[in-house]
Amino acid sequence: MKYIPNTDNEKKGMLKEIGVSSFNELIKDIPENIRLKRALSIPGPFDEEEIKERVYLIAGKNVNFFSFKPLIGAGAYRHYIPEVIKAIVSREEFYTSYTPYQPEISQGNLQSMFELQTHLAKLTGMDVVVPSLYDGASAVAEAVLMAVRITHKNRIIVSSLVHPHYREVITTYTEPHDIEIIELPFDKGCTDFSDLKNQLNANTAAVVVQSPNFFGGIENIAAIASEIHDTGALLIHSIAESISLGLLTAPADMGVDIVAGESQSFGMDLNFGGPYNGYLATKTRFLRQLPGRIAGETVDKNGKRAFVMTMRAREQDIRREKATSNICSNHALNIVAANVYLSLLGKNGLYQVALLNTKAAHYLKRKFAETNNFEVFEYPFFNEFVVKSKIDISEVKNRLSRKSFIPPLRVDRFYKKCENYLLFTVTEIFKREELDKIIEILGVSR
Amino acid sequence: MKLIYEKSVEGRKGYFLREDPYKEISLKDCIPEYALSRTKKELPEVSEVDVVRHFTVLSKLNYGFDDGFYPLGSCTMKYNPKLNEHLALLDNFIYAHPCVDEDFVQGSLQIIYELNQYLSEITGMDQFTLSPAAGAHGELTGVLIMRKYFMDRGELRHKMLIPDSAHGTNPASAAMADFNVVEVKSNKRGGIDLVELHKLMDEDTVGLMLTNPNTVGLFDENIEEIAKVVHSKGGLLYYDGANLNALLGIARPGDAGFDIAHLNLHKTFSTPHGGGGPGAGPVGVKKHLVRYLPTPIVSYNGEKYFFEEVGEKSIGRLSAFFGNFSVLLKAYVWILSMGDEGLKETAKTSIINANYVMSKLKKFYKPVYDRFCMHECVLTGREYKKYGVKTLDIAKRLMDYGFHPPTIYFPHFEPYAEETIMIEPTESESKENIDLFIDTMIKIAEEIKAHPEIVKQAPHITPISRPDEVRAARNPTLIFKEINENR
Repeated sequence: MKYIPNTDNEKKGMLKEIGVSSFNELIKDIPENIRLKRALSIPGPFDEEEIKERVYLIAGKNVNFFSFKPLIGAGAYRHYIPEVIKAIVSREEFYTSYTPYQPEISQGNLQSMFELQTHLAKLTGMDVVVPSLYDGASAVAEAVLMAVRITHKNRIIVSSLVHPHYREVITTYTEPHDIEIIELPFDKGCTDFSDLKNQLNANTAAVVVQSPNFFGGIENIAAIASEIHDTGALLIHSIAESISLGLLTAPADMGVDIVAGESQSFGMDLNFGGPYNGYLATKTRFLRQLPGRIAGETVDKNGKRAFVMTMRAREQDIRREKATSNICSNHALNIVAANVYLSLLGKNGLYQVALLNTKAAHYLKRKFAETNNFEVFEYPFFNEFVVKSKIDISEVKNRLSRKSFIPPLRVDRFYKKCENYLLFTVTEIFKREELDKIIEILGVSR
Repeated sequence: MKLIYEKSVEGRKGYFLREDPYKEISLKDCIPEYALSRTKKELPEVSEVDVVRHFTVLSKLNYGFDDGFYPLGSCTMKYNPKLNEHLALLDNFIYAHPCVDEDFVQGSLQIIYELNQYLSEITGMDQFTLSPAAGAHGELTGVLIMRKYFMDRGELRHKMLIPDSAHGTNPASAAMADFNVVEVKSNKRGGIDLVELHKLMDEDTVGLMLTNPNTVGLFDENIEEIAKVVHSKGGLLYYDGANLNALLGIARPGDAGFDIAHLNLHKTFSTPHGGGGPGAGPVGVKKHLVRYLPTPIVSYNGEKYFFEEVGEKSIGRLSAFFGNFSVLLKAYVWILSMGDEGLKETAKTSIINANYVMSKLKKFYKPVYDRFCMHECVLTGREYKKYGVKTLDIAKRLMDYGFHPPTIYFPHFEPYAEETIMIEPTESESKENIDLFIDTMIKIAEEIKAHPEIVKQAPHITPISRPDEVRAARNPTLIFKEINENR
């Protein structure tokens, strides 16, 4: 049988050595009543070539995504992924290994965790980092639970421009815990903080702001930090597009207490939504409330540098119901991907990618402003921006897909009142000529 | 080994990007001053060659399944087929954006839809959600469904029963749904103590989370009675699928009275562990719970696959998008490779292999329960304590012989399971590798008697010797700081 080395003869011999005459003697504990007495109704077994043909055929039912460049982002970004990353993460030592509970034979994973922790600390200005949670949504939900534990308060104020799916996940995670969630409205492309002062009270655990926000808008986080801290609440900064950190002020320098990020942009494929990789970054004083695995440096018996998983007393396998979270498996292989990506791009590369994203997106927006088909809005943004279309939305979709572009996101999918608004995302994968072509396609009246 | 930061050389580049084609646009006009970082972030500056060498050397400090025997009990470290990896990297899949219209992604949706059907058939459940990203994420989904079910019935229940042998994630997940965890003791045969279960199960109890085969590698023979007790008080029975490998094609949790089940595709369904993830933790439910599943699910109308919202009773959303698609795809491919015949053979072989290990080692390492086991056996290192050798030392010594150690100190519950060594050979291991492992375990037992120091100081030939974990926790160094920054 495929993937099972032992032959029938060998199995027979082993049964004999175990001291039974048939396999059935080994499974006597399974009551007859609940045994399955028929074949499972599933296809296969197929040989390798048959499977390839089948799956290629299914893959062919998707559009040819490689040549369809996406003008859609909304929490999942297509950036260029250098070949080095795939070459490294497809090494069996990384992808077939287990969680590094045995540090003597897991230094590769452990050092890689430690290095990504350092990269993310440099990008966010924070002291401590959890390098992997499932995704940006679970990261921000965990950050909210963490803030509730730290402050012993239960009111959370969330910007309505935090990714709508992230907000849904916050709701799912907090629902059992008597946590009150208040939403702040938005004005144009940024959160309207004018009511924040009134909403903040002595029972507020945290304010959650995403920047760049769901509309790509850059929030003036520093401006709200002190009024939040004055009430004893924490400031949580959600980041869906972490490439922005190559250009934007480190969250710690803006008064942020907890960064809850998504690192998909650091070398991870779109993959129809996953696996991506969430992370948390915070101050040392909140270390013991962090969920998930953290690597730390130490020495071995001979004084040689070594890395281990540390601060383990927070985790479920030790603390059971008193753990800071139930998380066990995280997205470890994507730690390696993000580490390789950030190491390779380095100080200058990440800056350049972030710069090109910003400029390309602003270039397209300015061009839209020159056409009669779109209304544009003035707000600071990174690589995504909202426009109001004067042509029919389905017409926009058709024109773009005919020329092999994935159309932008319809904003009314999430914000019902925003009919005819489109969220355009432009990353470095677009050449200037392609952006000109998009204007040509959408700028004409027919 | 040096960190990538210690290899940094000012001005060195590993990534080349075309020149800025938008010279006419000034950055200051795009981003307000308050948001613009004054300096570039201090990432390392290294070349592509530096990076490739660095990570290649790092990889060699790791031990993967392809390097050798990986008998980690409860983790099901089976072979990760290369075919699966190849198919999960097809352009049409990896470049698929999660927010596009359904007509762009009919292929991806078909995979999700069909995998849902296969998993339902294999487990006897009625409908799955494939969005949970890991086993514990699946557990969270499951306990939230249980919570919603009772809320919907207008009942307030507070207790969750969890066996003392359960994985730590079970109580931790129950706590995330704000349930009070009540531990159920194991009996002297290794199953749930029925007398105690009768006593504990009441109308304030949500249900029981059960791993079966359980973490001592035994199938709970009283499963029908357990289900009856839980259901008689209106409770729900939750199946932790960590050990489903032993049951494939033989018995189905759905037929044994379970109402909810999570699976670990990175255990039973051959997808790689990736050094700790990403996996996938789909959750299946019986008909009466379908309306509480997380949203959305994929449906098919005979022509087209499409997303369907679950409705107002849904527990809501668990992930930013639809879960770990590439992991789901690998599991899908594995099921096609195995078919009914292969799944049955998987279970059967894994059970034979584990019993073979136990029968050969039980003279040297006393089993926690001396009965036939399922896909894993749990032995103990108790009798070597008198030589000053702990189970930990035995595990460490195995590394010197080229093996990944088994799971140790889990499960742990008194008086039965202490100093445990949990061995799961899976179906992937050949008889000669298993024999080599058995011989090595026996050899270590002899070493302990003759030269205990060798075992106590092990490992000797790994990239590092035992690290000082106390120092790591007492004096946490969690990021790299250049010396001058430390001052």
